Amino acid sequence: MSEIQLVTSSLERASRRLRLNRALRGLWLGLLAGAGLWLLALAVYKVAPIPAQVLNLAAFCGAACAVGGFLFGGWRKPTLAATARWVDVQQNLKERMSTALEVANAPSDPLWRELVVHDAASHAKEIDPRSLVPFRLTRAAHWAVLLLAVAFGVGFIPEYRTQSFKKREADKAVIKDVGHGMAEVTRHELAARPPAAEPVRQSLEKVAALGDAFQKAELTRAEALKDLASVQDKIKDQLKELGKEPAMKRLDQAMRASGPNQPSGADLQKQMEALQKQLGTDKPDPEKTQQLKDKLEKLQDAARAMADKGNAGNEAARKELSESLAALSREAAEMGLNLPDLEQAINALAASDTDKFLKNLDASLSDLDKLNSLAKQMQQLSQQMEKLGKNLAEQLDKGQADLAQATLEKMIQQVQKSGLSPEQMQKLLDEVSKAVNPAKPYGQCSQHLSDAAKQMQAGDQAGAAKSLAAAAKELENLMQQFGDAQSLAATMEALKNASMCVGSGQCWSLCRKPGFKPGGRPGRAGVGTWADDDNGWLNDVPMSDQLVDNSGVQRPDMDPRGLSERDPSLNPALTPTKVKGQFSPGDRMPSITLPGVSIKGTSRIQFEEAATAAQSDADSALSQDKVPRAYQGPVKDYFDDLKK
Amino acid sequence: MSTEAQIAQFRQTYSALRAEIGKVLVGQDAIVDSTLIALFGGGHVLLEGVPGLGKTLLVRTLGEVLDLSFSRIQFTPDLMPADILGTNLVMETPNGRREFQFQRGPIFAHLVLADEINRATPKTQSAMLEAMQEKQVTAGGELRKLVEPFFVMATQNPIDQEGTYPLPEAQLDRFFFKLLVGYPTHAELSEVMARTTTGHKAETGKVLDRDRLLELMTLVREVPVASHVQDYAVRLVLATHPKTATAVAIANQYLRFGSSPRGAQTLLLAGKVRALANGRFNVSFEDIQAIAHAALRHRLILNFEAEAEGITTDHVIDQVIKEVPKTVEAVNA
Repeated sequence: MSEIQLVTSSLERASRRLRLNRALRGLWLGLLAGAGLWLLALAVYKVAPIPAQVLNLAAFCGAACAVGGFLFGGWRKPTLAATARWVDVQQNLKERMSTALEVANAPSDPLWRELVVHDAASHAKEIDPRSLVPFRLTRAAHWAVLLLAVAFGVGFIPEYRTQSFKKREADKAVIKDVGHGMAEVTRHELAARPPAAEPVRQSLEKVAALGDAFQKAELTRAEALKDLASVQDKIKDQLKELGKEPAMKRLDQAMRASGPNQPSGADLQKQMEALQKQLGTDKPDPEKTQQLKDKLEKLQDAARAMADKGNAGNEAARKELSESLAALSREAAEMGLNLPDLEQAINALAASDTDKFLKNLDASLSDLDKLNSLAKQMQQLSQQMEKLGKNLAEQLDKGQADLAQATLEKMIQQVQKSGLSPEQMQKLLDEVSKAVNPAKPYGQCSQHLSDAAKQMQAGDQAGAAKSLAAAAKELENLMQQFGDAQSLAATMEALKNASMCVGSGQCWSLCRKPGFKPGGRPGRAGVGTWADDDNGWLNDVPMSDQLVDNSGVQRPDMDPRGLSERDPSLNPALTPTKVKGQFSPGDRMPSITLPGVSIKGTSRIQFEEAATAAQSDADSALSQDKVPRAYQGPVKDYFDDLKK
Repeated sequence: MSTEAQIAQFRQTYSALRAEIGKVLVGQDAIVDSTLIALFGGGHVLLEGVPGLGKTLLVRTLGEVLDLSFSRIQFTPDLMPADILGTNLVMETPNGRREFQFQRGPIFAHLVLADEINRATPKTQSAMLEAMQEKQVTAGGELRKLVEPFFVMATQNPIDQEGTYPLPEAQLDRFFFKLLVGYPTHAELSEVMARTTTGHKAETGKVLDRDRLLELMTLVREVPVASHVQDYAVRLVLATHPKTATAVAIANQYLRFGSSPRGAQTLLLAGKVRALANGRFNVSFEDIQAIAHAALRHRLILNFEAEAEGITTDHVIDQVIKEVPKTVEAVNA
């Protein structure tokens, strides 16, 4: 390595170290700036209601400052000449390095060049970049750490926010939450029950859009309530419009009568058929099967007890058990129940096969249990089926439009059959004729049924089928309208929920919890339960100025509550056995609480003794004038009373 | 002779000169060094100090140790230019004819001691101007070259100003260095006592002849200077120019005029000598700073405010050195 190369390599090493040092200095400076920025943002955030995103932004900027400082510091590579000058100054080399570099690259006297470079090379060996540029924490680093520590401390200080700001923020959060809930419910409604009518679909989509807008926009409570009220008004109008249709009232009544979440008539019929398939020809009575089951359980317990005792001396018991089981088997057979496992159990008992006997007994009990359960279901379904209309007229009258539609479909099939006897035709005609009046609320349905009846009378089976189909179609349309109305009602309910949430500042989930029961009647859900007086889209009674006699109106909800008709004489069990202030030796003393002192314990001396001692002390104090004059009278009276 | 040998010879000669002068002159090391630097730089020196500090002794001793012609001119108010330069006299030739012959004055020597130069009138002082700068004199209508090397070592007394004529700025500028001779220290004064109050007489020998001096003076000029060091010297000088963009604050406040380009030349040349004398082959910032006062103090003209406040040019130079950054990078930063 030549001398100039030695000089150059030494300087390059110093240059790299210098560059890294600059980068680190840049890092610390950037960190200082970033920490300052972060502290400033945090301090401002603690006293002023700036958005929390500003903190994130400040943190990002702080980190960027540190990284930027590092990059900026290390970006420029120091030139060799600059490094040489810097090293000359730092190492007190009297400009040897810089002159050598310059002379080496300049057309100068070669002898002088050699001398200068040689001199520089001899000093270049002394250059140690690590001691020349030691990495140590700069003042900026110390300040940065201090600022970060201060920022950490400031982080624990709670933010100061005005009450109005907190309220606004809470309102915003509630509105956002309500918007989310509203949009979710409405979209679910749209997906579950796609509206048939375009205006209804548009209304529901508008509500969903309003929910989205609530989530995005930062509205005030008043604005949100205004928007909700506006949409509610529109939906209410639509509901009113739908409610004008008389069929809607009938369908709504039918739905309310069956109760919410109840299967439709058609579904009930299907369930009934499925159950009958399972039971086959048996028609067990649930009460009797329950009795049978109870008996069998008792016998099973007895059999288990017998099995535990062993075989010795149990012959008589076994015989008795066998007879009881045989009687039970006969009883089941009389009820029409088939229990093969019971027969096998009897056989096993006869064969003294205890395990098999118990196993068969368990199996027969299980069969019986299953039969009992099916019988109960069958009974419930039968009860529900009894509520269903038996014919078209009843179905229409009870508002069971789906059943009526199914009945019409069956009728159409019958009418379209070619070989229909006159009796059958007459029967159909009678049924259709009877349904004309009940079908009046169902739009054109009554007219179509009337036409069908006339056509049947005239023997126009094709025309009758067409009219019946038109009636069925009319019913279908009405049911669709009813479905739309239900969707609107559900959305209306969601909007009311939303209004209540926004108005009361509660979140969406809280408003939908049990406490509030839309549609509930006052008093049903318990004391203090909210009731929606405005519920029911068909219950909008128009206001009237006319006088109304409400003397006969029964208002059980207005009955006085909280008063019991209890006998004024107390139950002996409720009479207190201890009188306050009395105690006897050996018993627990009543707790006496004085300011700062709590006295508890067990009495060890007679009350009379204690009272006498206290009285003598009191007399002594009174005689020695230790008691203030104003209190002497009351103290004397108190101890005189104790004597009595 | 190779450069390396010449450099070695320079150092040897320098040390020998110092040693010989030291035999006579006690202390005043800085003054001696500066004088030698000016000598090798080929410049004139103005020594200023109160009487009795050894100014004249220094120059006289220098004349003794250098194998050069030496002359001394005692400047007085009645001294005439012709007394310095020489004059045409009517002389009788061997063949009996009379003709004007130029009689050389004391200026025609290698080393001229101009003692108490400020006592001469400006007219006489200005007779030195051409000699000092051009190293020639014009007398009797003829141009006469002075012998090389030519040094003027002038002394002046800062007190006892009655009857003195301050040197004109133009003349001051022609001095390479202005050296302020200070009082000796306790030890130095004791040594002076010991040497001068006994029968002991120091003997000095010739150390350097003319030819070798000229060689060494040539060698000095070959010492390389890094561009940033040269730039520093330039910036130092520019910083003394009041009311300019390069001026430092103190220059604007207290200076009427700054240094001439001769100041920058002096800084660089003297720096080279100092570097060689200190065993280096290149000029450093330290060299420039070390000779800045001697090179610039007589080239700066103070304004009335500075005079009133007692500010000296040395104060200004100190501040200029402090304020002018060493590297261009520092300037840019």
